[in-house]
Amino acid sequence: MKKLIAMTLAILMALGLFAGCSGSGSDGGKDDGVIRIWVGEESAEFYQKICNEYLSAHTDFGYKIEVKGMDTGSVAGTITNDPTAAADIYTVAHDNIGKLASTQCAKPITDESLIAQVKADNPESFQSVIYSTLNGQTYLYGVPYISQALFLYYNKSLVTEEQAASFEGLREAAQAAQTKAVTVTGDDGYNMSFALLARKVSDKSTTVKIFEGAESVSGGSKGESNCQGDDTVAIVRWLQAYAADENGFKWASPDGWDADLDKDNRGVLAVIGGAWHYNTAKAALGESNLGIAMIPTFTLTKEAVEGLSAVQAGDVYRGGTFADCKCFMINANSAASKYAKEQELIKYLSSKDVQNASYLECMNVPAYVGASEFIKQCYTDGKVSESEYNLAAAQVDMAEWGIPQPFITGTLNTYYYSKNGPQVFRAMIDQTAYPTTGDQILSETSSLEGVRKGLYLIEYLWNHGVAPKEFPAALPEKA
Amino acid sequence: MKSTAIQRPLTPKPAGGGKLRRFWSNLWKRFADGSAGTKLSHLIFGAGNVYHKQYLKGLLFFLLQAAILWVMIACPTVNGTPYGYKAILNLSLKNVHEGGEFDPLTGHFMTGSDCKLMVLFGFVSIALIVIYLLLWNANVASSWKADNDRKIGKKPTTFKEDLKELLDGKFHALMLSPTCIAALVFTILPTIFMISLAFSTYNDQDMNNLGTNLFHWNGVQNFVSVFTGEGSLGVEIHNRFLPVLGWTFIWAIFATLTCYFGGIILALLINKKGLKGKKIFRTVFILTIAVPQFISLLSVRNLLGEYGPINALLQDLGWISKPIGFLGLRVGDSETLAKIMVILINMWVGIPYTMLMTSGILMNIPTDLYEAARVDGASTLKMFFKITLPYVIFVTTPYLISSFVGNINSFNTIYLLTGGGPTYTGYQAGGTDLLVTWLYKVTIDQGSYNTGAVIGIFTFLITATITLITYRRSRAYNEEDTFQ
Repeated sequence: MKKLIAMTLAILMALGLFAGCSGSGSDGGKDDGVIRIWVGEESAEFYQKICNEYLSAHTDFGYKIEVKGMDTGSVAGTITNDPTAAADIYTVAHDNIGKLASTQCAKPITDESLIAQVKADNPESFQSVIYSTLNGQTYLYGVPYISQALFLYYNKSLVTEEQAASFEGLREAAQAAQTKAVTVTGDDGYNMSFALLARKVSDKSTTVKIFEGAESVSGGSKGESNCQGDDTVAIVRWLQAYAADENGFKWASPDGWDADLDKDNRGVLAVIGGAWHYNTAKAALGESNLGIAMIPTFTLTKEAVEGLSAVQAGDVYRGGTFADCKCFMINANSAASKYAKEQELIKYLSSKDVQNASYLECMNVPAYVGASEFIKQCYTDGKVSESEYNLAAAQVDMAEWGIPQPFITGTLNTYYYSKNGPQVFRAMIDQTAYPTTGDQILSETSSLEGVRKGLYLIEYLWNHGVAPKEFPAALPEKA
Repeated sequence: MKSTAIQRPLTPKPAGGGKLRRFWSNLWKRFADGSAGTKLSHLIFGAGNVYHKQYLKGLLFFLLQAAILWVMIACPTVNGTPYGYKAILNLSLKNVHEGGEFDPLTGHFMTGSDCKLMVLFGFVSIALIVIYLLLWNANVASSWKADNDRKIGKKPTTFKEDLKELLDGKFHALMLSPTCIAALVFTILPTIFMISLAFSTYNDQDMNNLGTNLFHWNGVQNFVSVFTGEGSLGVEIHNRFLPVLGWTFIWAIFATLTCYFGGIILALLINKKGLKGKKIFRTVFILTIAVPQFISLLSVRNLLGEYGPINALLQDLGWISKPIGFLGLRVGDSETLAKIMVILINMWVGIPYTMLMTSGILMNIPTDLYEAARVDGASTLKMFFKITLPYVIFVTTPYLISSFVGNINSFNTIYLLTGGGPTYTGYQAGGTDLLVTWLYKVTIDQGSYNTGAVIGIFTFLITATITLITYRRSRAYNEEDTFQ
């Protein structure tokens, strides 16, 4: 019997392997009269309410609308795992657009009026990262409606507003409080942007380039990257010294940055974080102690610029950030018959009015150009508290100093975040050795050469995804 | 109408060999000598049972046949991927549809084939064919039995009697059926599916380039990449496989032996005559078992962490200026120190288990062996090496082997203590990663399922080989119930 089964299996397998295959695919799910939307967990109730209002005003809409809250940090993974089970319209951070488009999880947006609205409302920086390519044609894929950027939370009872404006001021406050000045919420690639993307205050310049001009086609060009400029070297050396200072920078302890920030612990006076940390920061400090400001400035020291030609001691830089947006996208597996209504709905949900209402009810910072005027008006009218106003204002201000995450394909995202670049960066800040492939050891990161090697390594990882076999005899000195 | 054909008994078992010939011969005899119902049941399931007026049983057979044939011929689809014969043809993964056709006016978007489902449904459909054949055999055998019953003047069994038989003579079949079905659905099919992935390009990176769910077979390329370093994760495998494999062995050997002998020594100490408070000692050591292992491990991780109490204490005492990376959690931490630490911490977690087991074994060693040894003038040490240790090893050899294999796959200890760290640039596998934790990272974090499958197959081959060789050579296997 066993042999019979084995023979049958073998015959069938052989048939399967040699026979032609009936290719399969899907042209969308069934239209069950419901449009399902995934938004951030904190906003689900609000958007359901808004959608209900829309349905009341548009009785001929023809579809029910169901809104569900999802963790927007991990939703892209959920969608790619099983796009057929995902909502018709979903929300993701813009850096997932490339991956979702190339993996056929998202459908292009073609409604002329919606495209016109996106073009009219959104800043240039967002518009450069919401398109992707399908069959050689460029299409709009994501519609921005929430803006987000890193900024500074600080303990108002120990740090003055003036001190919070610069890292040196924070250190002064930390000396008085006998603690550390500032930390970050994590040591990943997103958080390291506060130093890596720092810009010169006088002209907002930086030599850092991350996948600039990369092609949105999977497997296409990775564009141009640079993190070996003199300014970056100087910034790393400045941060090394600041971290070595007993009242300077520290990485968050294992108990969490919020435990460090806690008003009773006083482990640190300030933390660089995002709007999604607001409630935790408020719980750690209490609303009355919670100060919010832009990421501070810092002044390059003589030691930091030693041996470098393109930077001067005394140059002032402001900490940088990835200035991102959350976007609505349409599921490629959604029924074609829903397509027109989905775009109509997205147009409404991403309109300025709904973005403004979302700010007032959920603290979602609007993504459209000129949102700061509305935010200011809300504060003047007493519609939001001071910290809520500061939260939005700091993000809008920081957006001008940041760039959107340029990971227009999944590979770029992986190379930037998951190939140990952030760990190399941390090793440099900690001035520790960094083991690479076992045969290549970054034996020290304290000297100018060590920093240059570290930055070379990071850039190499961005471009290739693996560590170099060896460091070049002469490291390139990029301006 | 009853068959008048003379029914010949099935071919008796030959002295040896010829099983396949006997099988075919029996099949033919059932067909040639069976009643018309039996003959018809070769084509239509349940026909023989209906012929023998076993209507319900016949109907059940027929419905099962109809259901399987419907799936195999009509090829119903799930998410656009068919079951049935099409699924078996699809196993070739040739001519898959790449998708991406989009009509901007209507919004029609054609997504590509889902190769993952195609492969899975292919294997399910093959399993359905196997089930079909088993049912075919069962239905013919059932009718053949009824033929034979009639021949000897017995009435064919009724459905009620068949059900009753399931609770009596065929009770084993009733009990084993759910287990077998569960094993097929939850173990055998997923295992075949996962093994097949090792011969494919199924990983996130390649699939992103092709489209969400498109991959193809690439033969033994993933295995070859272990030696050549080619492929999407080839560099990782090529450079890290041997170091990880080597450390996995070192870890398994040390973790097993330290816990094993540590447990024996502890059990000997606790069981020593004259020791007061034996129960208290036993309880204290068993407490580590009472606390869930992951809690113990995470507590130790916190204790020894960069900002943990141990480092804080050492810094406060002025013995060290910077935290020691005991567990390799930070970049630049010592790999050797992390390896030593996990072995030591594992002793703390593992020794009580061996102690508990050995305590029981020690109490069972016949005391006359010791008395005889004492009369012969043996020293305590000699008695330990000549009586205690051989006895304990004899009884615990299977445990020792399973413990070794368990340690090769010791995910919790490594993942919760060090997370595999310290990390290596550009690689998933860190300094203390075992094959199993590396496999986890490669599949869950990296989405490289084909590489994970290769690592899984290698791990299985290694553990299975070691287990078989060691166990078959052990005295516990060769002298099963004797201890000399």
